[in-house]
Amino acid sequence: MTAGGTRAAPVTTDRPGAPRLPGSRRAGMRLARLYATSRRIPAALTAIMACALGLRIALIGHWDSYGALQLPLVFEAAAATVIVLTAASPLGEPERITGRWLPYLRLAATLALTAAAIGALAAAGTGAHLAGGTLDVLRNLGGFTGIGLLCAATISGGLAWIGPVAYLLPGVYALYTQWHHPALTTPWLWPGRPPHDLGAAICAGLVFAAGVAVITVRGARDLPGEEA
Amino acid sequence: MTATSAPARSRPGTRHPRPAAARLLRLELRHNAMLWMMPVAVALFWFTAGRKTLASPPLWNLRVAVMQPTAVLAFASPVAGAAAWMGSRESRRRTTDLVNITARPRPARLLTTWAATTCWALVAYLACVAVVYAVTAHQATWGGPLWWPAVVSAASLAALAALGFAAGTLVPSRFTPPLAAVAAFFALGLSTQLIKGSQSYWLISPVVAGPWDLGPNPEVGTFYAYLPDLPMAQVIFLAGLTAAVLGTLALPTGSGLRSLRRSAAAVTTAGLLVAGTAVALAGTGRLDAHGMIAIPALHDAASDRPLRYTPVCGHTTIPVCLHPAYASYLPATEAALAPVLGQVAGLPGAPARISQAAATYQQGPGNSVGIGMAGSPIGGTHPVFHFLLPVQLAGPVLTTSEMTSQLRSATGPGIVASVTGDGPGASQAQHAVTTALLMAAGVVPSHPSAPRAPTTAGSNVPPPGPGAGGERYVAPPPGSPAYAAAQRFAALPAAARRAWLTQHLAALRAGRISLRQLP
Repeated sequence: MTAGGTRAAPVTTDRPGAPRLPGSRRAGMRLARLYATSRRIPAALTAIMACALGLRIALIGHWDSYGALQLPLVFEAAAATVIVLTAASPLGEPERITGRWLPYLRLAATLALTAAAIGALAAAGTGAHLAGGTLDVLRNLGGFTGIGLLCAATISGGLAWIGPVAYLLPGVYALYTQWHHPALTTPWLWPGRPPHDLGAAICAGLVFAAGVAVITVRGARDLPGEEA
Repeated sequence: MTATSAPARSRPGTRHPRPAAARLLRLELRHNAMLWMMPVAVALFWFTAGRKTLASPPLWNLRVAVMQPTAVLAFASPVAGAAAWMGSRESRRRTTDLVNITARPRPARLLTTWAATTCWALVAYLACVAVVYAVTAHQATWGGPLWWPAVVSAASLAALAALGFAAGTLVPSRFTPPLAAVAAFFALGLSTQLIKGSQSYWLISPVVAGPWDLGPNPEVGTFYAYLPDLPMAQVIFLAGLTAAVLGTLALPTGSGLRSLRRSAAAVTTAGLLVAGTAVALAGTGRLDAHGMIAIPALHDAASDRPLRYTPVCGHTTIPVCLHPAYASYLPATEAALAPVLGQVAGLPGAPARISQAAATYQQGPGNSVGIGMAGSPIGGTHPVFHFLLPVQLAGPVLTTSEMTSQLRSATGPGIVASVTGDGPGASQAQHAVTTALLMAAGVVPSHPSAPRAPTTAGSNVPPPGPGAGGERYVAPPPGSPAYAAAQRFAALPAAARRAWLTQHLAALRAGRISLRQLP
């Protein structure tokens, strides 16, 4: 473990009067907390909440048809990039060797952050005109996150954001072509499909599942010399 | 090998060592994230801007107007993201202390990294532009490349790189590059939502290539010179913004000597002033009669003169002539109008030529723009009928069959009506004869209850004015006396119809023929 990792793991002592937890449970909680700290999950949650707040503020404004449709997509992409950046490990090889519970922690953290982001963005659209509704948020955010996780596993944890950011433009363009034919109707460009489109949902779901599976098993790729 | 056996002679290249700045730039170019981001940017460009641009008709003005906003959007996220990634490099690699003790001042090092990022972004962008321009040069029938839109996009990349780089340097977090990339896309893509009419400060956004909601307009720069007023203001704004943002990099304490920080403050202030001035200039813009944004302080009055050109004419019974930029539309135009021209050719008062005219533009409320044709559609001692091609009416790109259909149903009736004198206040007989000739030409007249086909893009763009060639002809209702007379007249042999018209056309135009007098 590096010095940074050591700093991130403060030694805890039981305070007088604090409820005593069973040893394994307490260790598990501590492990989860250390993992969350090392992946900057609290900062990621803050950023996700900021995205939701930004979406809520933006929805107050008056948007034309293009803007109203593209707006949620931009915030979904931003939230997805935040999620995938937590896949990067600052500890590298030592953690991979010694971390028996690492795959479970990666899986839990990814799913929890994705669920939090979906919930936050859907809540931001409550009472406002959120184009596509919660189903669209679920599908698009899942797909964006899947792309980012695949990038984290193949390119680098720190550069995982390239995937969702790059996919944002084709997604917006697919929406645009619904007005300006020829329309792009492939389900792999799911943002351009209606929320209830089964093909688009399957494609986004497959990408998300693949991303989660790869990141759970392998973790994010490290770039030498880069601090994640 | 020992130290003494090593050759003491220096290599020829070291006798004239390159300036340190050039060597640093070379190093930065070799280790820049934008180099690896180039394929992403180019792929995004081709998926959106390239395909869309090359799918539009081969008109210089149209293609560059399509390319400018889409190219800026395609490059925005990769450039801002890569620049932010480079800006946070020292913090990410924990080399801040290491490089701070080097001889080069921090602002100089940062500027070099930004310059390298911008260089790679420009290389990728210019390669894409070169391909689009080369293909257009091969396909276009008139005119030459318009450089201003390409310059605006290039200046945008420098500004985006500066903004992303500053974000990465000042807030070196792992979340900064992606959020900078998404924020750049958000700011550019949705900045146009705030544009209201042609006098809007938001026209300064580099994704605006002309009057907003008019869309890419093939008319611009064909009959009248392309106005660089708005692109000039945009470039001034982007240059000022870039200078201001780069200046802020040297402002924090510890960036260098006090004199250096003072200079940086001066650059930042000057940049902000320049950018603010450009925004103010954009706010004074107005839609001119030729469909472009004119900014009085930047306007060259010489640009208002019409351009000289030799029209390309077809070989129909009455020649159809188009602006050479639209030469590719001539066969379709001839095919659309030939049946109608065959009905009126040789008749007294028939036009000697059918000639394409320039459209005129007028700003309406909000973002609506009125498109029409100035003056009467027909005039002169050797009458020339003026018309607008449907592509001049700024709407969605039409297929050849759509354009043929629109020309036949909109311009065809105008030509016949110019011969029969039909129009508001015309007699029933004139209306019936017009309808009959259109029936004979195969143009099925519309019924009054039929909905009018949209002639312009966007629901907020009103239809063109009379004579512009954008209005559909409304025939007498079936069952009415005029409709029956039209059917009767259309059923006559062509020779009999022509003989009657030759003899009675003057009286018909004067309104002295009644329905009963029609054969």
